[in-house]
Amino acid sequence: MANISRRDFLKFIGAGGIGAGAGYIYAESVKKTVEFLVPQVIPPEDWSPGVATWYNSLCGQCPAGCGISVRIREGRAKKIEGNPVHPVNQGRLCALGQSGLNALYNPDRIRTPLRLTGARGSGEYEPIDWDEAMTSLGGRLGSMKIQGAADRIHLLTGTVRGHLDLLLARFMEQLGAPTYLQYDYTHPHSLYAANRMVFGVDRLPYYDIRNSDLLLSFGADYLGMWISPVHHSLSYGHLRQGRPGHRGTCVQIEPRMSLSGASADRWIPAPPGTEGLLALAIAEALVDGGGYDGADRADWSAALRPFKASKLAPTIGVDAAVVAELTDAIRRAEHPLAIGGGPAAEGSHGTAAMTAVNVLNHLAGSLGRRGGVLFGADPVVADDWRVRQASYARMMEHAQIMGRGDVDVLLLHGTNPVFNLPQASGYTAALDKVGTIVALSSFMDDTTAMADLILPTNVYLESWGDDVPEPGVGLPLATLSQPVVTRIHDSRSAGDIVLGLAHQIGGELPAELPWTTMEEYIRHSWRQIYSVEAGGTDAGFDEFWKDALRSGVWARNRAEMEAAPTVSPAVLAQAGSAASEFDGAENDYPFVLQPMMTQGFVDGRGANLPWQQELPDPLTSVVFSTWVELNPTTAAELDLEEGDVVEVSSSAGTLAAPVFIYQAIRPDVVAIPIGQGHTRFGRFAEGRGTNPLDLVATVTDESSGALATAATRVTIRKTGERLSLIKTDGVSRDLGRQILGPAKEHA
Amino acid sequence: MSTANTLRDYLKPGYYDEFDYHWAMTIDLDRCTGCSACVVACQAENNLPIVGEKRFSERREIKWLRIERYWQGEYPDIKLRFLPMLCQHCDQAPCETPCPVAATYHNQDGLNTQIYNRCIGTRTCAVYCPYEVRSFNWFTYTWDEPLEQQLNPDVTVREKGVMEKCTFCIQRIRIAKDKAKDDDRRRVRDGEVTPACVQSCPTEAMVFGDSKDPDSKVSQMLNNPRGFKVLEDLNTLPSVVYLQKVEEQGHGHG
Amino acid sequence: MAEYQEPTYAEVNRDVLRTMLVTGPKYWTALGISMTVAVVCFFGPWFYQIHVGVGAAGMNRSAFWGTYLSNFIFWIGLSHSGTLLSAVLHITQSSWRKAIYRSAEAMTLFSLVTAAFFVMVHVGRVWFVHWNFPVPNQMGLWPNFRSPLMFDVMAVTTYLTASSIFIYMGSVPDFAAVRDASTGMRRRLYTIFSFGWRGTQKEWHTLGWAYTFFAVFVIPLAVSVHSIVSWDFAMSIVPSLHQTIFAPYFVCGAIYSGTAGIVSVMFLLRKFLGLERYIREIHLDNLGKLLITLSLIWTYINIMEVFTGWFSGSSFEYEAMKFRMFGFYGPLYWEMLLFCALVPLLMLFGKIRKNWRYMFIISILINIGMLTERFLIVATSQPRKFLPDAFGFYFPSPVEISITVGSFAIFTTLFLVFVKWVPCVSIYEVKETLQPLRKRAT
Repeated sequence: MANISRRDFLKFIGAGGIGAGAGYIYAESVKKTVEFLVPQVIPPEDWSPGVATWYNSLCGQCPAGCGISVRIREGRAKKIEGNPVHPVNQGRLCALGQSGLNALYNPDRIRTPLRLTGARGSGEYEPIDWDEAMTSLGGRLGSMKIQGAADRIHLLTGTVRGHLDLLLARFMEQLGAPTYLQYDYTHPHSLYAANRMVFGVDRLPYYDIRNSDLLLSFGADYLGMWISPVHHSLSYGHLRQGRPGHRGTCVQIEPRMSLSGASADRWIPAPPGTEGLLALAIAEALVDGGGYDGADRADWSAALRPFKASKLAPTIGVDAAVVAELTDAIRRAEHPLAIGGGPAAEGSHGTAAMTAVNVLNHLAGSLGRRGGVLFGADPVVADDWRVRQASYARMMEHAQIMGRGDVDVLLLHGTNPVFNLPQASGYTAALDKVGTIVALSSFMDDTTAMADLILPTNVYLESWGDDVPEPGVGLPLATLSQPVVTRIHDSRSAGDIVLGLAHQIGGELPAELPWTTMEEYIRHSWRQIYSVEAGGTDAGFDEFWKDALRSGVWARNRAEMEAAPTVSPAVLAQAGSAASEFDGAENDYPFVLQPMMTQGFVDGRGANLPWQQELPDPLTSVVFSTWVELNPTTAAELDLEEGDVVEVSSSAGTLAAPVFIYQAIRPDVVAIPIGQGHTRFGRFAEGRGTNPLDLVATVTDESSGALATAATRVTIRKTGERLSLIKTDGVSRDLGRQILGPAKEHA
Repeated sequence: MSTANTLRDYLKPGYYDEFDYHWAMTIDLDRCTGCSACVVACQAENNLPIVGEKRFSERREIKWLRIERYWQGEYPDIKLRFLPMLCQHCDQAPCETPCPVAATYHNQDGLNTQIYNRCIGTRTCAVYCPYEVRSFNWFTYTWDEPLEQQLNPDVTVREKGVMEKCTFCIQRIRIAKDKAKDDDRRRVRDGEVTPACVQSCPTEAMVFGDSKDPDSKVSQMLNNPRGFKVLEDLNTLPSVVYLQKVEEQGHGHG
Repeated sequence: MAEYQEPTYAEVNRDVLRTMLVTGPKYWTALGISMTVAVVCFFGPWFYQIHVGVGAAGMNRSAFWGTYLSNFIFWIGLSHSGTLLSAVLHITQSSWRKAIYRSAEAMTLFSLVTAAFFVMVHVGRVWFVHWNFPVPNQMGLWPNFRSPLMFDVMAVTTYLTASSIFIYMGSVPDFAAVRDASTGMRRRLYTIFSFGWRGTQKEWHTLGWAYTFFAVFVIPLAVSVHSIVSWDFAMSIVPSLHQTIFAPYFVCGAIYSGTAGIVSVMFLLRKFLGLERYIREIHLDNLGKLLITLSLIWTYINIMEVFTGWFSGSSFEYEAMKFRMFGFYGPLYWEMLLFCALVPLLMLFGKIRKNWRYMFIISILINIGMLTERFLIVATSQPRKFLPDAFGFYFPSPVEISITVGSFAIFTTLFLVFVKWVPCVSIYEVKETLQPLRKRAT
């Protein structure tokens, strides 16, 4: 070893130390973020490291309105479970609900207010701060109000219920802006219209699947994406194996096997648009066979005569024997129940079809009875939101107004009409005529990308609010939404933004909307609920509020049912023909298109959630794609294999997507899932798949104004290209192996 | 405990079948609708990575619980049957013997466990598993920030080269056992521990519990005459029992 | 054809040592290319794989094992060449082995080393691969001795050790010959290598005894090694793998593959090292006879596999068999049969069997077929296991193909180095086959 002086020695030590220190700092700085699971040594007041806290709140992923329990560790949301005390989902939660964490922590959330710098739709925005955004918007709205032009301010949201809806309504009212619409693709307009027509009620009744022993579903995917899938799944489980010795039967009638169809004991592939006719044929057989003993039997018999099974058989694709079997089953059942939805409700005469289902329920005696259709008491929160739900016809009226240039400011929140309305509607072009588009949104989706000003909103997990689910569970209840984490970006909840705007705008607004935060407003509103329930006093509210925060839900402890309404045979004539009409001549367009919602993507809102993109579709196991479902015979006739790219064309549009051979679809039907094909929606959704809604021709159901998405005919052309579908299924046949049951005894 | 006594214990019949608990699960196929809520629940609870489209197309997805589909018949007499498939925690697991470094073994609760930090990734266990429920980390997967904030701190995040699979949410079992211990050494009560999948199932098709406890719900379900084990003839002695879907007779179709 | 003139003792020394002491540009070129290919095709992609993960290969959730394991088995199989030739034929006192056994033993050793590389390439966390050995560790764990892979580790390390000692020991007199023919550094080195061998009667006696001992020891070792390797598959319950025939099947296949490998290597040695006088037609003929015997056994076993697959009536076996014979890799299956069952039948004809060129081609085809066979075992069984919905597919990635090619380069490199460091023909044993001097004087 050479001689080293002390000076040199210290130099080496120093250099080594600095080197090691620098190395350490460098290593720490490039640590993957997953190494920082417990980040704080001195934690804030409201949590202890290593100890989980649970907050009960409201799920905002679909309109069902389930209650959730969120596990929080170190101020971060780790797991969303169902709220065990919530009557809708009773501790259970669907895949989409659990994926709410992907929405909260989505990497493509809008993190600051944005102002458009380029052309509309260019995606060029600059970040601005909240003060500037609120001042400019508040100022604009205020000055329009003063000038008396407030009617040119329109508000378009998704489904908003509970007190946020009331707040928005009051805000718009005080502003002098009468146009407040809600557009939600999933809203079953035809079902509501039929209920109004037959039962005279504005809200949905409660379908007591749980206590039924024969469930006839006319197209309603009650286990997948119809109204309240988790609640229905709970009910289904009970219907099957919840009553020892008593197993309910499920029959599904639809052109393409849905998730509910897969669980049915009997799946009837009805031709598209004939489900309502089948219901009437069964109703006719029921009355004719003596299964209905109401006083107006003769009138019903006369009204139903055109729907004799033997006459209808060729149209409904079901022969009289089968109708007789189903009728028999209804008569033998103690609690028969018929429900309708999905493609049956989305035909050109969807309301008439749903009316037929309601009529069948009446004749089968299931109205107002356990295991049947139950009519409940008034909800605890005013539910005018239903009036604001805009059908397609209403949206087109609104589009005309926009197209004329009569809308100066359009406020958007939680809705994506650019994606959900068909291209042929011309909605996007009309939207472009709006003076200023302001989006209150968490994500840069297809519609938000048209905005001039974007105010980032809190995701539901960061927001105060409440909800009254519809149709609920037959007893009055209200769910509380509370933030389970502090907001993670510089966003605000929509309610807070509106309250802030009210203060900006001034005039009478601050007095009419005297709250500064949603928390204040919700607490105030629940004080009202409490005092009504407590008979006019609000003593004891603090206890009540604490309980509400702890449990996340309030429900009256007993159901109050109303009597079943009377149903007259005249309703059939009123509803009109239940026979569907289609756009496109059969010769040119030999197939009927069924665009279908899946539970994971709903109307496309789930596409930016990576867990949903990676979740194999329950029926096909496909991920990350749009596919075209064809019956095996149809595919063979057209010389198509899985992965062959086909061009699907209607009179309204064209799309190209790979073929999937689906075993349980009619040969004359083509089904394409809705959800992909976003032009903007974040890294997980963009540039992927195609949107079948662009094929839908603008046929409406006149009774409800709903878009008849199941009334478009299409043709298919082989392009010769191939795109292999990513799916997890290998060979979906059990090849005689002992997989689905015990080993068979050998003879 | 003298050595002699310990050695004598080894010779007692049933010694190797003595479990402290014997966690078991039943899945009622008559209730299961294939909705896949359990799949996402497992992903959320156990820090399963988001592998992305490319890796998915290469068959490299990581799913501890998957739903299998089996079609029966031909259109229009066509039926679809779902089979949620997860680690069966076999009492005679084909995967435990072949691991050269003993990274997978049967613990005293009847669980087939995977020790991530011992695994060197020979993947023999996955080849031997007849149910194909094991997933391998072909790469080290990362999360786009801030998605990693959702990760469950009770569960390790695995790196490349390590095998993983369903653990019956052993982290929840451990927490429940700790709580029981704090409460004066009582046993874990039925219903105190539910894996994420069981907890989320909307139709209540999945039941989990201690099969050594005769009063537990799972013990009752295990006695159900519809019960069967998948690929029973392979004699792996799974701890997951499925209840066969009830087929109604006497239907035509269409 | 000129009449064969037996070499004298001196000529043997000179010819064989010349291969070691005289090195021309062709050698350096060959060595350079082989090393480059090894680095570029094997080590480069391997280090890339260590960096990104085993996902660089083509394996997936329906086929966790791929070419790394099938190549491992192929190379272990190839290693049986030396053992059979060297040990078995020594016991049976076949004189024709003497010229070729040294190179065959070297092939054994280097095949094992290459196979050992594949173990490291195959595992997911190669930096912990030492946990396979019972070394002290902070977890206080032994390896799992019930695991067939653990048997593998033990068997292969034992075999590697025994083969190294075997070849070294048998080379000691030849190292002495090198020592005596060289100067300077080389002389010093070979003095050490030869342990000061003087060629005394006692030393020859001890060597003979020790060598025979090892020959007897190594034979059951070889049989057990490949049986154990086969049990990696046979001890699983995977359909088409879980069969008792696997141990004899693999051992037979190994000897088959190894012997074909010897033919290939001998052809090249003869050509490039000028050893035509030592590696002669009689060797080829006998190797050919060995090959045809093994080929017939191999064919029989394959036919029985198909038969049992069909006869079992088991959907599991049937689907796996169907996929192997008629699935995506069906053409490979028929190619394997062509190269390993049909083409070798040509060796029934003496004319073919005694022709170096034909035999070289046939031996290469046999090994291609055997490589295919190992690949098919891995690639067609795993994607057709028990649950049909989990059926999948496996295709090797470019990294795997490159590493496969690179492994041959590693083997070649090691062999080229061997050729310059150890006499590739056993000088003293060849001399034993020659007529004694006094008889030849006439």
